[in-house]
Amino acid sequence: MNELRAKAKELLTNGTVKVVIGYIESTTPDRTKPFIARTAEDAEKLVFNKYCVNNLALYLTRKEFRRTGVVGIVAKGCDVKAIVQLIQENQVNKDDVYIIGMNCNGVVSELGQDFSAETIATKCLNCSVRTPLLYHTLLGTLEDLPKREDKNFVLMQKLDAMSAGERWDFWEDEFERCVKCYACRQACPLCYCERCIADKTVPRWIESSAHTRGNFSWNIIRAFHLAGRCIGCNECERACPAEIPLSLLNRKMGMVAKKEFDFVAGMGLDTPTLVGTYNLNDNEDFIK
Amino acid sequence: MSGSNIYKPEMMEITDIVQETSDTKTFRLKFKNESTAKSFSFKAGQFGEYGVFGEGESTFCIASSPTRSEYIECSFKQIGKVTTALTRLRVGDSVGFRGPYGNYFPVEEMKGKNVVFIAGGIGLAPVRCVIWNTLDLRNDFKDVTIIYGARSFNDLVYKRELKEWKERKDIKTVVTVDPGGEVPDWDGEIGFVPAIVEKVAPKAENTVAIVCGPPIMIKFTIPVLQKLGFAEENIITTLENRMKCGLGKCGRCNVGNVYVCKDGPVFTYAQMKELPQEY
Amino acid sequence: MEEKIISLDNLSFFVNDLIKDNHIVIGQDSKEINWKRITGAKDIVVNSKNIPSNISYKEFVFAKTEPIIYYKNKKDEFDIVEPALPRQKLVFLGAKPCDARSIEIMSKVFNWDYKDKFFNERAEGSIVIGVACNYQDKFCFCTSVGLSPVTEKGSDLFLVPLDEKNFALQIVTERGKEFIQPYQKYLSDGNQAKSKEILSKIKNPEKRFETSKVSEWLTNNFEHKIFDNVGDICVGCGQCAFACPVCHCFDIVDEECDYSSGRRMKNWDACQFGLFTLHGSGHNPRETQGKRYRQRIAHKFKYYQDKFDEVLCTGCGRCSRGCPVGIDIAEVVAEINSLA
Ligand SMILES: Cc1cc2nc3c(=O)[nH]c(=O)nc-3n(C[C@H](O)[C@H](O)[C@H](O)COP(=O)(O)OP(=O)(O)OC[C@H]3O[C@@H](n4cnc5c(N)ncnc54)[C@H](O)[C@@H]3O)c2cc1C
Ligand code: SF4
Ligand code: SF4
Ligand code: SF4
Ligand code: SF4
Ligand code: SF4
Ligand code: FES
Repeated sequence: MNELRAKAKELLTNGTVKVVIGYIESTTPDRTKPFIARTAEDAEKLVFNKYCVNNLALYLTRKEFRRTGVVGIVAKGCDVKAIVQLIQENQVNKDDVYIIGMNCNGVVSELGQDFSAETIATKCLNCSVRTPLLYHTLLGTLEDLPKREDKNFVLMQKLDAMSAGERWDFWEDEFERCVKCYACRQACPLCYCERCIADKTVPRWIESSAHTRGNFSWNIIRAFHLAGRCIGCNECERACPAEIPLSLLNRKMGMVAKKEFDFVAGMGLDTPTLVGTYNLNDNEDFIK
Repeated sequence: MSGSNIYKPEMMEITDIVQETSDTKTFRLKFKNESTAKSFSFKAGQFGEYGVFGEGESTFCIASSPTRSEYIECSFKQIGKVTTALTRLRVGDSVGFRGPYGNYFPVEEMKGKNVVFIAGGIGLAPVRCVIWNTLDLRNDFKDVTIIYGARSFNDLVYKRELKEWKERKDIKTVVTVDPGGEVPDWDGEIGFVPAIVEKVAPKAENTVAIVCGPPIMIKFTIPVLQKLGFAEENIITTLENRMKCGLGKCGRCNVGNVYVCKDGPVFTYAQMKELPQEY
Repeated sequence: MEEKIISLDNLSFFVNDLIKDNHIVIGQDSKEINWKRITGAKDIVVNSKNIPSNISYKEFVFAKTEPIIYYKNKKDEFDIVEPALPRQKLVFLGAKPCDARSIEIMSKVFNWDYKDKFFNERAEGSIVIGVACNYQDKFCFCTSVGLSPVTEKGSDLFLVPLDEKNFALQIVTERGKEFIQPYQKYLSDGNQAKSKEILSKIKNPEKRFETSKVSEWLTNNFEHKIFDNVGDICVGCGQCAFACPVCHCFDIVDEECDYSSGRRMKNWDACQFGLFTLHGSGHNPRETQGKRYRQRIAHKFKYYQDKFDEVLCTGCGRCSRGCPVGIDIAEVVAEINSLA
């Protein structure tokens, strides 16, 4: 923590960065919230721990930071995947971000939980980027992660084994609860569009009503728009007040991208984006 | 206490359409239902929700005068979803209408006084309503001055009426266009509205000023009026916040603790000054 | 206040009877996400210890989406059809004090001057069976907005858990009294001393602020960096408004049913969305997230009070528990209180 504060302070005072996007303690020490540190004093408040669940890459595409100059950001491995993907999609200029990479020992699934094998986030279970792929400074040391069964994966296999009708019923039950709060979109680092398709009215592509038809079109279109782009931070699912298991959709899409195109989002600055690539040899047999 | 369906529109038929500018039209509308037509009344400054089925509703002021009760008129600029759908309609087509909503210009209190109307662009629509209201009761008012400006000649709305007003001897009408917006045989003023107001506005004494137009015009016109000695209570304007219900329910139009749709849209400058700067 | 006793078993019978008698009984879902229509005694969750659901039960009186008119096109003529509203009585079972008042509070805006029948027809006949609350976390602040974990305000009938098997049933309103009349057989005589003792043992959440002080400060400090600080991190979603038991904003949009018919919908909307106040001209009176957050706070703790003499907040803490970026409304308002 002291390392982090010292680094942030140094970057802010010597002018390397204009702001540092990081975490501070929230209502209780076991909850953190995002914070924009602008001064050396602000830097003293920064923390990093197992409760730092937010993917701060979200803030990099904010208008006010686009012209700020270099922005510092405290980032776990999974957050860096989002940053890499944003750079790939030309949303963030590589030279305008300074990554304070954190060696990560897992985070909780939800704000306010104690950290344990029960509560460690699903994405952490099989994480391959505990040391970020890209950073300007690397802080922290790696420890062993607690282990538990990946229930999410088990559920995914169960869904795969279902008939289309059963799957439809499963999602109908889940989507029924959606209230169209768009927290999933707003919390997602890769949902950066100035005007989301859900907000376009001329013509209206997605009904804004939170009924079955409107909820299906919203959730499915969003999943498609993130296919091959989602980096699996699971912020959407965490943000959803209706507790819809959105990760099942996004993870499945990611697995299809891996299997069919051998592509994983956010894993390297040299790999072109999936949707930006056209290859005559691409498989098409998954389109039914 | 549950009441009737306040969101249910009345059906109106378009009986006339005037293309005011390249993107602005005026509709003349009549209620399809006889008894609604008979019982309907409104006051100058009120607005309505005009709907195209399948597209939605849009907020416009009633641009015709309450003294002419056999129809209502609205003028709208094509800007988004509903206004585009409206633009496509023809004479004989149906439009849904909810209203009249909101408060109104204090026409009764203006009687016996001088009135100066100042409008910019499409802002002439609400002012036109009270202009005709005043002209139809001409003897109740003292001097009447109309100052109207638009970006260019092509952006002037109600051109026929502007001509009619100019020709009338019992009122003074000054029309202006922004520099560069004139056409070769332009016989009006050239200059921004605030500057023209400074030049031609009547004495402030016993005079009410009604000012409607883009925020920027209002912002620069009010100091001019104050300089001329107009009291804050005698400068009257309208606020146009985004609205949905028009009924004080949907929570969209508030400026501080004021619902523009219910407590407005007409405000005196004295009232406006008390509001937080959020319009 | 009259007080009776109802056993857990009898509560089940009572609920089964209500359903048989054509009432719509609504209770908190066992997963604590939202509220659901109860189909039988097996669904009952009346528990004074559970956390407030993520999403309140307001959707049953103020629907998240509902048609306000249907229209059919008969060759250039439009036929307007009014949607039918349910005629059954709604019974909210197990409302915590921070839920119980929500209908009363929202009723003010839905009934000043124009009356919204979509709200009224559901709300007017509804019965709120409240329950004393024995849950508490850092986000609860009912005591700061004039409520408490043990208040019967807003309830028609109020349950107090006496032991594992029994509840005291306080008959709060005339409406409640009438409502319970046909079900007397499930009630036995109560002993007020016991429930009083139990209620007195329930701890109050700490009082975080004085609403009058906050409202006065908001009057004089429209511009303040406290709002921009929140705006820095607030992502502008609708979670806080849609979870809230008293946020009442909505949008009106048309949608197709098929080629020749459609409907006009009234859908939840939220002042934290960037498009909420955007004008056609591109001008937006609340163009930054900080300004939008200011609207949230000022509407709840000043405007609604000025206009309707109610704080637009019951202190349930839902918006804070659910905020994806950890913004805690009580923390913000308490900070305002400390500035005042
Ligand atoms: C009291 C009052 C009186 C008024 N009187 C008049 C009047 O007399 N005449 C008049 O012309 N206007 C008047 N207005 C303004 C008028 O209500 C609006 O201009 C009108 O409602 C716009 O409706 P719309 O459905 O066409 O626009 P919408 O489609 O609803 O567009 C509104 C907003 O959404 C945005 N938008 C929508 N779709 C898209 C898209 N696909 N891409 C990008 N942006 C998009 C627009 O930028 C705009 O900000 C008045 C307003 C008020 C409050
Ligand atoms: S879709 Fe969800 S999991 Fe994927 S990047 Fe966005 S927030 Fe993260
Ligand atoms: S966060 Fe959940 S409830 Fe909100 S829009 Fe997304 S899926 Fe729907
Ligand atoms: S839930 Fe939180 S992030 Fe979302 S709008 Fe509310 S305060 Fe902002
Ligand atoms: S503002 Fe937050 S705490 Fe207050 S009633 Fe709404 S959800 Fe509950
Ligand atoms: S806080 Fe915002 S969403 Fe909630 S009622 Fe007020 S204006 Fe509407
Ligand atoms: S327009 Fe809905 S409250 Fe004013």
